[in-house]
Order: sequence, then C-alpha cells, then structure tokens
Amino acid sequence: MLSDVITPDLFAAALRIATPLALAAIGGTICERSGIVNIALEGIMLVGAFFGTATVLATGSPWLGVLVALVSGVAISAVHAVASVNLRADQVVSGTAINLLALGLTGFLMELWYGHPGTTQPIETLPPVFSFGAMGEGFIGEVWRWINGVFLSHTPLVYLAIAIALVAQWAMYHTRWGLRLRGLGEHPRAVDTAGVSVARGRWVAVLMSGALGGLAGANLSIEQVGVFQEGFTNGRGYIALAANIFGRWTPVGSYLASLLFGFADALQIKLQPFRDVIDLPPEFFLMVPYVVTVVVLAGVIGRAVGPAAVGVPYKKG
Amino acid sequence: MSGSRDAVTAQRAWMEAVQKIGTPIISAVLAIAVGSLIIWISGYDPVAAFAALFKGAFGGPKQVGETVLRATPLILAGLAVGYGFRAGLFNIGAEGQLMMGGLLTAWLGVQMAGVSPLITVPVLLVFASFAGAAWAFVPAILKARVGAHEVITTMMLSHVARYVVSWLTAGPLKAPGQIPQTETLTTSAQIPRFQSIFPEGVLEALPFLDMGRAHVGILIAIVVAVGVWLVLRYTTLGYENRAVGLSPWAAETAGVSVQWTTVKALCISGGLAGLAGAVEVMGLHHRIFDQFSAGVGFTGIAVALLAKNHPLGIIPAALLFGALSAGSGTMQLEAGVSQKIILIIQALVIFFVAAEGLVNWFIRKRQKEATGGAE
Repeated sequence: MLSDVITPDLFAAALRIATPLALAAIGGTICERSGIVNIALEGIMLVGAFFGTATVLATGSPWLGVLVALVSGVAISAVHAVASVNLRADQVVSGTAINLLALGLTGFLMELWYGHPGTTQPIETLPPVFSFGAMGEGFIGEVWRWINGVFLSHTPLVYLAIAIALVAQWAMYHTRWGLRLRGLGEHPRAVDTAGVSVARGRWVAVLMSGALGGLAGANLSIEQVGVFQEGFTNGRGYIALAANIFGRWTPVGSYLASLLFGFADALQIKLQPFRDVIDLPPEFFLMVPYVVTVVVLAGVIGRAVGPAAVGVPYKKG
Repeated sequence: MSGSRDAVTAQRAWMEAVQKIGTPIISAVLAIAVGSLIIWISGYDPVAAFAALFKGAFGGPKQVGETVLRATPLILAGLAVGYGFRAGLFNIGAEGQLMMGGLLTAWLGVQMAGVSPLITVPVLLVFASFAGAAWAFVPAILKARVGAHEVITTMMLSHVARYVVSWLTAGPLKAPGQIPQTETLTTSAQIPRFQSIFPEGVLEALPFLDMGRAHVGILIAIVVAVGVWLVLRYTTLGYENRAVGLSPWAAETAGVSVQWTTVKALCISGGLAGLAGAVEVMGLHHRIFDQFSAGVGFTGIAVALLAKNHPLGIIPAALLFGALSAGSGTMQLEAGVSQKIILIIQALVIFFVAAEGLVNWFIRKRQKEATGGAE
C-alpha cells in the first residue's frame, strides 16, 4: 500500500495544492508587514478566479484570463485599501465584508452572464510548461521518473509562485522598499517622520496582496480545475493566512508552510481509495486541511508574534 | 451661563444619539442604494425589484410570518457575534457552533420521545447551547493560551462542523430512506407554530392571524436578547466583558483576567449560536440535513455589525435581514433579479458600518447644510 501512496504524484500534488495557498499567503505577508490585516484573501481569490474564468470563456485565451484575474484582484483589494487606510475602518470587518461581497458578486454575475448558478462551462486551461517523456530504464529511469513527476510536470503559476517567494524574500530584506515595508508594520510613526507616506506604502502593499490573491484564484480556475464553481475557494484564504503566520510573516516561510498544507491535503486525497484499510468515512479525510490549520495555529510553533502595528489604523499628525 | 452650557451638552448628546442610530440606518440605506445601482446596471428595474421584495416580505400575514421566521435564528446568531465583539473577539465561526447546537438538538430530540414538552424543550435548548459553547471552547482556549487568532480557528472549525454534519446525516444518524437527513423530532420536542396554538376555527374567522411558518421561537429569541442586554449592562460578567473589549490592557491593570474573560466570552458567544441552531431545528426543520443552517451564522455577522453589537438593536437588524431573505424569492420570481443580490447588500451593510468615517462625514455634512454651516 505504501508504494501506492508514496509516489511522485503525491509530491507533485502537494506542490500543486500549495501554489494558490502560497501565492495568497505571500500576498498576506506583504500586506501584514505593512500593518494591514488581510482577511479578504478568500474573497480576492474568488473574484480573481471568477473574472479569470469569464475572460477565458469570452476570449478563449487563458493567459488573458490570468491577467484579468490579477487586475480584478487588485481592483477588489482597492476597496480594502480605501476602508482600512483612508477611512481607518476595522480591518477584520472590512475584510469580512469583502469576502461576503465576493461571494455575492460572483454568484450574481454567474446567474446574470451564464443564466444559472453553480458551475461554468469548462475552459481552456494553461498546459504544463514542460513535457518530457520517460527516459532510460532501471535506476536512472526511476530517478528521472521522480524528478520529472515531482518537479517538471507543472503549469506556469506553480513555478511563478516559487520565483515570487524568492524574489519577495530578497526584496523584503535587501531593498529600500522592504525596509520601509517592515517599518510600516512595526513603527509607522517612524516611517512617517522619515518623510515617507504611510498611506501610500500601505496602499501599495494591499494592492500587491490583491494581485497575488488574483493570481491564486487564476491558478485554481485556469490551471487546476478548468471551470469556475461558486464559492470554491472554500476557506483557502483563511488557510493562507494561517500559512503566513506559520511562516512567521516571511515570503519563503509562507511558501514552505503552504507546502505543508499542500502535502497534508495531497495525502488525504491519496488515502481516500484505501477505505478498506483505514476504516473512516470520507468526511474525515476532507476535514484534514482544516484540522491541520487549527493544530498548526495551536502552537506547534509556539506563540507567533506578528508586526507590532498590524491592524492599527494610522492617523497622520 | 450654565443654561447655555446645558444647551451645548444637550446638543452634543443629541448629536451622539443621531450618530448612534443614524449610522446604521444610513449604512442600510446606502447599501440598498448601491444594490439598486447594481440591479439597474445589470439591466433590471430596481423599483420593480424592491417592490417585489417588499411584497414577498410584508405583502400579507404569511409573508410577515416568513420574515419573522427568518429573523428568529438571525437574532440569536447576531447576539452570538455581537457578544463576542463586545469582548473584542470576532467570532466568524458562529455557523459551525450553530450546526453543533442543531446537531445535538436533532439527536437528543429523537431520544427524548415520550417526555413532556415542558421538560424536553428547555433541556434541548440548554444542551444545544452547551454544544455550541463546547465548539467555541477550542478557539477560545487557543486564543487565551497561545494567541491563535479566533478569525482563523473559528472559521476552520466551521468547515470541520460542516463535514461532521454531512457525515452524521449520511451515516450514523441517517433516517431510513434515500435522503441524507436525521429522523423527525418527536412533537413534544418541537417549538409550535403560532397558527397551531390558536383554538379550532380562529384562523378561519381571523385569517390575518395566520403567520404561516412563523413559530414561537421568536419569543425565545427576544427574551434571550433582553437577557444578554441585562447581563452586559448590569452584571460583573458583562462589565468585565465590555472592559476587555474596550481595552484589554486597562482591564488587566484593573484586575480583570483577560484570558479567562476571553474564554468565557467566546463560549457564551458559541452558546448563543448553538441556541440559534436549536431553534432552527425545533421550530422549522424538525431534523437536520446537510447545509440545514443556510448561512445563518454568517448573516449573524452582518446583523451584529448593523446593530453595532447592541443586544436590543439586533432585533430590528435581524428583522431587516429576515425581510431581505424572505422577500428575495419573490424578487427573483417576479423581477428576475438573482437572490444573490441580497448577499451583496449584506456585504455592503458591513462595509458601510465598518467605514463609519464615511457615514459620519455624510451625517456631519447634512447637519452643516441643515444649520447653514454654523456648526
């Protein structure tokens, strides 16, 4: 049984499932580092997934769909920026409103444009970047099967997410932008005193998290599922936030934490067919990612300390 | 001298009152206005849509009954979210606590067949609130001990609760038959409908009394709302709850245990949500099935925010959302506008209440105009 579970496919699935979580989580990290909580990731992903899918349905171009997903993520996160930066609203409440708005808006447009609730027509999806066949036999063939299966079988955004994690990590700790970003979340008054606009810095961070959330949605709909389903983010935005905390508010940490969730989820999917060996109802497997999230937050890691000024509206002067 | 000072104080108090009640009302009006705009842009007639919605919500005794029916669990769910909020806790997992309350009610209600309703009904209500409180205890203890944010943990546990319900209704608790649902509650465990408590012939003579599916649960909800208001206002428990919500640091300094208050507040919040589940099961569905809660826990967030977490304000707020929900079917049927617009309006209400600055600016502007800029 073990050799049926531990396959290249299991690890490839972990990477695949981790990707939308990681993209959203890195967005959450950037946002929270600037001092703004982003509970809205769930809604941003949903909006990105929907408008991305609608674009593919209208134009037939998956790449255009990815672009529109990104732009619509930015657009909806602008609402969060207005509320939390300019109007100094409670950020958790504003984020919750956006999640509900996204659910309602996508459902409403779904019926308006396609005449029915539920699921859209299938769309053309982005193909894997590489397509290598089997190579050699024996040991070499086996090693190649693993490398090809685990690392070289993916769609573009899977690789892009890894690149973004690395670039964001570098930018956060080695550029002036990164220094200011971290300053915004720790001590906005100091950043303000240094003559840098807190409002503008936070706006940029919120919009960046919107762009990444939109990409996360595009990954779900245009790369993984190939349709849009109402509400199919299904709590992933919240899991992404947990991954951000687990990753200690760093981009690479967020990516690795997402990978852990991805692995847990991939494992439960792999284990489902072995119902006669593990005598549990399917619902118990489906619960796994949510239970893992709670367990992780319960302090496998000890008390996580976020940016000092996160969630606190800043008033100039 | 003192006379004019009194006048100034009175005017300030009046303005505060206007803001307290005015903000929610303006938020609701703005949300409906933006909703109308969306309806209009989508190519429908907003006037026809809201006329149909109003007809579906208040067009007759049965429609009013439907509004009351939908408002009943919303009052309790709104109280749940609002009570947590008063302690600075954002319990967005009321949905899961509600499901656990409903689940225990559905199971225990069948077990207690043959017991007098005078015993069954209170026992079920108490146990359902225990179930909701127990489901909230996990996030509560995690928040207090390791600081795990309740927004994530309560939400994750809602997903777990959903799977627990679908497992039990399809498996161990499934009633015989094709549909995955539990057995029907024994009559003595049901909360009666208003129409069934009138003597024979009264409804034929006075048809305006026939409120359709509305049940006595609304009275329970109102009593609980008043109870929560009294607790918050007049008890040490409520005082500590509010103190922690206003400033955990100051409360700690004053000798209030923030951790213990947090645990109590989230458990009470969960208990109220559990009660909402019980009332839905005992008054409306008489059993549970997958998705029986229909998002009541989430709408409770909007209700609490609209009421600014005031236990008595939650009653009219729940009635508004109950009306939107009851009328949305008629709106879809007669004006062709998707019921999903109601979700959008709920979201806009939350947004406008959160963006209080926007609404306050609007009120001040109106006041300035009214007083000729002499403010």
